[in-house]
Amino acid sequence: METTSSNIQTTFHSIGSSTDWIVMIVYFIAIMLFGSYFGKYNRSTKDFFFGGRRFAWWLIAFSIVATGVGSHSFVKYSAKGFEYGFSSTMTYINDWFFIPLFLFGWLPIIVYTKVRSIPEYFEKRFSPSARFLATLLLLLYMIGYIGIGFLTLGKAVIPMLPESFELLGMQLDVTLMGAIMVIAVITGIYITFGGQTAVIFTDLLQGFVLLFAGFLLFFLGISYLGGFDTFWNLLPTAWKLPLADLTKPPDFNFVGIFWQDGVAGSVGFLFMNMGLIMRFMATKSVDEGRKAATFNILFMLPLSAVVVGNAGWIGKALSISNPELVPPTTSPDQIFVVVANIVALPGVFGFIMAALTAALMSTVDTLINATAAIYINDIYRPLEKLFRKGKEEKQQRIKDKRELAAARWASAVITALGVVSVLAFKSFPTVYEAHGYFHSTLTPPLVIAIFLGIFWKKFTPSAVISTFVGGVALMILGLHDANLITPFAHGIEMNHAHPYSYIRAFYNLFVCGAVAVIVTYSTSLQEGLVAKMRRKSNHKQISYALIAVAIAIFALVLFNVGTFIFQFIGVVIMTSAVAIATTYTVKYDPIAQTEGLTVWSLAKAKEMFKGSKVNDEEGELIKVEWKMKEGDDDIANFSKNDMAKMKANVGDLVYICDARKIYGGLKSVHSVFGEPHEEDGIVMLNNEHLLNGVFVEGKTVTAEMEM
Amino acid sequence: MPEISHTWLPLLYLYGVGGIFFLIGMIIIKKSKAIDLTKKRHRYWYKVLIFGYFYFVAFHIIFTLIAIYW
Repeated sequence: METTSSNIQTTFHSIGSSTDWIVMIVYFIAIMLFGSYFGKYNRSTKDFFFGGRRFAWWLIAFSIVATGVGSHSFVKYSAKGFEYGFSSTMTYINDWFFIPLFLFGWLPIIVYTKVRSIPEYFEKRFSPSARFLATLLLLLYMIGYIGIGFLTLGKAVIPMLPESFELLGMQLDVTLMGAIMVIAVITGIYITFGGQTAVIFTDLLQGFVLLFAGFLLFFLGISYLGGFDTFWNLLPTAWKLPLADLTKPPDFNFVGIFWQDGVAGSVGFLFMNMGLIMRFMATKSVDEGRKAATFNILFMLPLSAVVVGNAGWIGKALSISNPELVPPTTSPDQIFVVVANIVALPGVFGFIMAALTAALMSTVDTLINATAAIYINDIYRPLEKLFRKGKEEKQQRIKDKRELAAARWASAVITALGVVSVLAFKSFPTVYEAHGYFHSTLTPPLVIAIFLGIFWKKFTPSAVISTFVGGVALMILGLHDANLITPFAHGIEMNHAHPYSYIRAFYNLFVCGAVAVIVTYSTSLQEGLVAKMRRKSNHKQISYALIAVAIAIFALVLFNVGTFIFQFIGVVIMTSAVAIATTYTVKYDPIAQTEGLTVWSLAKAKEMFKGSKVNDEEGELIKVEWKMKEGDDDIANFSKNDMAKMKANVGDLVYICDARKIYGGLKSVHSVFGEPHEEDGIVMLNNEHLLNGVFVEGKTVTAEMEM
Repeated sequence: MPEISHTWLPLLYLYGVGGIFFLIGMIIIKKSKAIDLTKKRHRYWYKVLIFGYFYFVAFHIIFTLIAIYW
């Protein structure tokens, strides 16, 4: 083992043996082959991104573990566990507050309105311009998230690599960015050929492996220390508390992390993380999605908190009992690898590292897949529509093939952009702080916009666009002058190198929320001004002038030109100009554009999803054999008696699934009840159903009426 | 004994301020009929939502007591 000491932290290199590397490589190849096998279930972009809306809750709940654990990584929570103890778990146990709104608001809305991406929701609910700005912000958020994933992966493998190596007679230094680029290539190859179904199944496997590896490390660590009592008694009382101190220190305090993670982060994770949302959309029904989310938050997240943080706790105990083995100055971001290497035998260490890095890759894979979905839905398709205007699409399959190819190319480009975004986060002392700052800064405008969009019918397009522009400008003012955030800081001391990394989220949410509310409540004033404007002959020119003024002021704020007062007044003028220009340009129907798109009209959303009146009766789940029929219409025919058992009528929606529960819905299909026949226990399906459902001859299927 | 700012204050803040968000959420989904308590399935979910809140409150109280007194 080689160590190098900087002034503050001790860093490690060349940890692990060749056995560990062999175990890691074998694990990775096995995972990639496993994922590639499920690539065959992608028959269209719908399958590539959403897995065909077919899976059981348990499959999705476990597949989310790898995504959740990966994104809130071993590296960053072990680091905080090492520095501050059990309070590293608090971010895993503060997600319940927004669950009612998620389960009974956002989840049914996104499923029933059939939106393929969050920006698409913004177009339906507000306007195409709102969609455009939401796409920009969301892409920034997702690519930044991918960057954080790559940074964590890089930091995880660096301690295992030598400081330099020789290739073709040249001495090459191992750098963080170099390691990240190699990892990105491997990640990109996997996701490009896998798709969402592959990601779900790979994550399912990894979810189990990850929990096993995390608890294995915990038990190995405890036994290395000499038992639980020794471990417990070594830790200071402050390390055992489940929550951090209210306001200190600046790099890890409760209030800051509550607003950054518990509010902005939880809403961001549940409402904005397309990777996670696509998982829930892959469940066979809204109710299954609810079960998956609930099980995950109630049971899997607390377990995950132990899995990801325990290396830090063991490291702290080791640094007290044997400070020569684990110096208290060990770089926090390296503590996971250092502890795993000490307590595990060669080979076992390789397995734990493989589980860690593979889980992180899962997170990055999911995010890349989700970002590609945003690209296809919000950039590729609108542009294609524009350029192919008037040209009839001859075959859906050709279009699907072209989109699938575009999705794969997009995945590759997004991977590259993710690597570049690492540069923005490299300067933070730990991944935890980088992630906290990232969340605090990028999520608030979208959090406010999505939240008010779903729950407040009065929220208008001019308010949402003003939030994206004016709210962001006020956030930038807070970046230029951190003193603006002090009144929101609850007395947290300002760290001048990275001022208010976490509590900045409170300020950002406040300013975005304030802009949204003020602009919404001034709608009649805006409409009055626009009416006056329209009476003038040069009203178009006036609107262009307003947009030009807004762009100019935004640029001044972005590049910090002028004094604070000058910029603040500029932001007020800019926000007013944006609100008036939007009211002038956007055609908005407050009734049509809220119907089925807010929590206040979910019944309508359900009806729109079905295309006719909803049948809310609860029928039986039946078992039937399938027979093939001619034709390509999306109709499944059951007997009269079977339909009566299911309480189904012609035109209702049906979910047909392979009866073997172990598949968790992988072999299943959604269809519509057709006219009944007389043969009980038989469902007539066409070739397309059989291909989509991947049903096997002679195997029984279950059927249930959906709505 | 750790300071109260490290033991009970964060807990009160978490479930007080977090509780306000939770309560607003429950009121909105109930008033909007997104959760329809005439349906058996929705009544089940309503109980799950309330249980979840107190499950986490109990979780943090128990672990704070263990940290201080064990």
